[in-house]
Amino acid sequence: MERRVVITGGSAITPIGSTRTEIVRHLTEGLSGVRKMKDDELLVAHIHCQVFGTVSDPPVFDFARRDRKTMGPVAYYACQVAKDALAQSGLPDEFIRSGRLGVAFGSTHGSPTVQRDIYRTFFSDDSSKLHNVGAVDYLKSMVHTTAVNITKMFGIRGRVISSSTACTTSSQSIGFGYEAVKYGLQDAMLCGGADEYDTTTVAVFDNLLACSTDFNDTPHLTPRPFDKRRDGLVVGEGAGAVLLEDLASAQKRGATILGEVIGFSCYNNGGDLILPNREGITLAIEQGLANARIEAADVDWISAHATATKMGDVTEAQSIAAVYGNRPRVTGLKSYMGHTMGSCGAIETLIALYQMAEGFIAPTLHLEAVDDRCAMLNHVTELVEAPIDIASIQNFAFGGVNTCLFIKKFSG
Amino acid sequence: MTHDEIEKAIIRIFADQFEIENPGLNDNLRDVYEFDSIDAIELLREIEILLGVQLTREEKKAAMEIRTVNQIVDYVVRLDRKIE
Repeated sequence: MERRVVITGGSAITPIGSTRTEIVRHLTEGLSGVRKMKDDELLVAHIHCQVFGTVSDPPVFDFARRDRKTMGPVAYYACQVAKDALAQSGLPDEFIRSGRLGVAFGSTHGSPTVQRDIYRTFFSDDSSKLHNVGAVDYLKSMVHTTAVNITKMFGIRGRVISSSTACTTSSQSIGFGYEAVKYGLQDAMLCGGADEYDTTTVAVFDNLLACSTDFNDTPHLTPRPFDKRRDGLVVGEGAGAVLLEDLASAQKRGATILGEVIGFSCYNNGGDLILPNREGITLAIEQGLANARIEAADVDWISAHATATKMGDVTEAQSIAAVYGNRPRVTGLKSYMGHTMGSCGAIETLIALYQMAEGFIAPTLHLEAVDDRCAMLNHVTELVEAPIDIASIQNFAFGGVNTCLFIKKFSG
Repeated sequence: MTHDEIEKAIIRIFADQFEIENPGLNDNLRDVYEFDSIDAIELLREIEILLGVQLTREEKKAAMEIRTVNQIVDYVVRLDRKIE
């Protein structure tokens, strides 16, 4: 049995806003959420990159202590977007607690802020240092902290999937959640990802020479996907959640349907863990189209992974061109907010839904002079009023993981 | 410390650390205030700070059956006398 899977709720916390209105305003007015990096008194002085996709206006978290006590910053983000997505879906409490709803939610590496505090305690001179590690520090910092804090807060009893595949974390969450509902393993899945403000991740990419460093004094001008002047990625923070539900159940209870997930693919490069791989990405796109049972010509808009690294953008452009030619419009959304790591797939999926609902396509910010090696695509360089029927969200991660999600405007 | 001083200190810990204001002294903490095993471990750390000692595993295990503020106060009084 295969069921149709629809989206009935969604929410995001991003460097360009935490409401649909704010996010759409930034996209349509071309406003960046990249800021000067905050000093962490540890790594920032040693990192060449000095910019970060920063959530500068986070929502007010109104959580009871019962829920807060096992949360690090990443779980605050995750639980807030989960709360909003559940509220928008209108699912009743008895369903949420019935075991028919599961959670697929992850982050790159739990809470690095809490992990840093633990190590600070370990390396202190205090003779009682081991006793100063709090009982809840592991619960706050562990890699599946987002998923299980969500289950705890809402009493969710269904299956828990907690991907932790860096940049493909939340696209895997949505994809695995989609499969769980599609094949009848769960009737609904709350899916997404989150990552908190973290300079450790910046240091890693900085050491790999993958971070942007030319725009430290003008953070709002980087990253620059596909542009000749691009000089690397910008790490960011954020969270995104979508509520996936069996179409029949959603219609039966009269839910508002925001869109339909029609396909998902996840393939590995089967080799190098860092370098982008044209064959691997192309395979993921082709298999995603097959999974969605559509042709390349059916896709109207592609949210490219497009981190603005020198080689990554070229490889992705070659793969898109090989499968799609130059028909679908292509946007690199990370140009607005940097690379929000484990949350980027969910955030980009939500932006696809916002664009479908409002009839516009956002341009890639800062795309002033397209790199010749990426020029074969149909780049969006200015705001376009155009309908999107089918969107593809592409994400690729360290470890050679490649994902494609296909989202369709719901038409009954 | 006197019994009253310990009782005041425990009630202050409940307010400051657990956001539980003036708990009933004989209330079942789990049932009434959702005070769970994680909170119990955190409370033992607060008691260590209060008394300026590190509790042994046996002393910690002895606290696992405690359910009310009065029982916590009695437990701390016993520890305090042992230290003295």
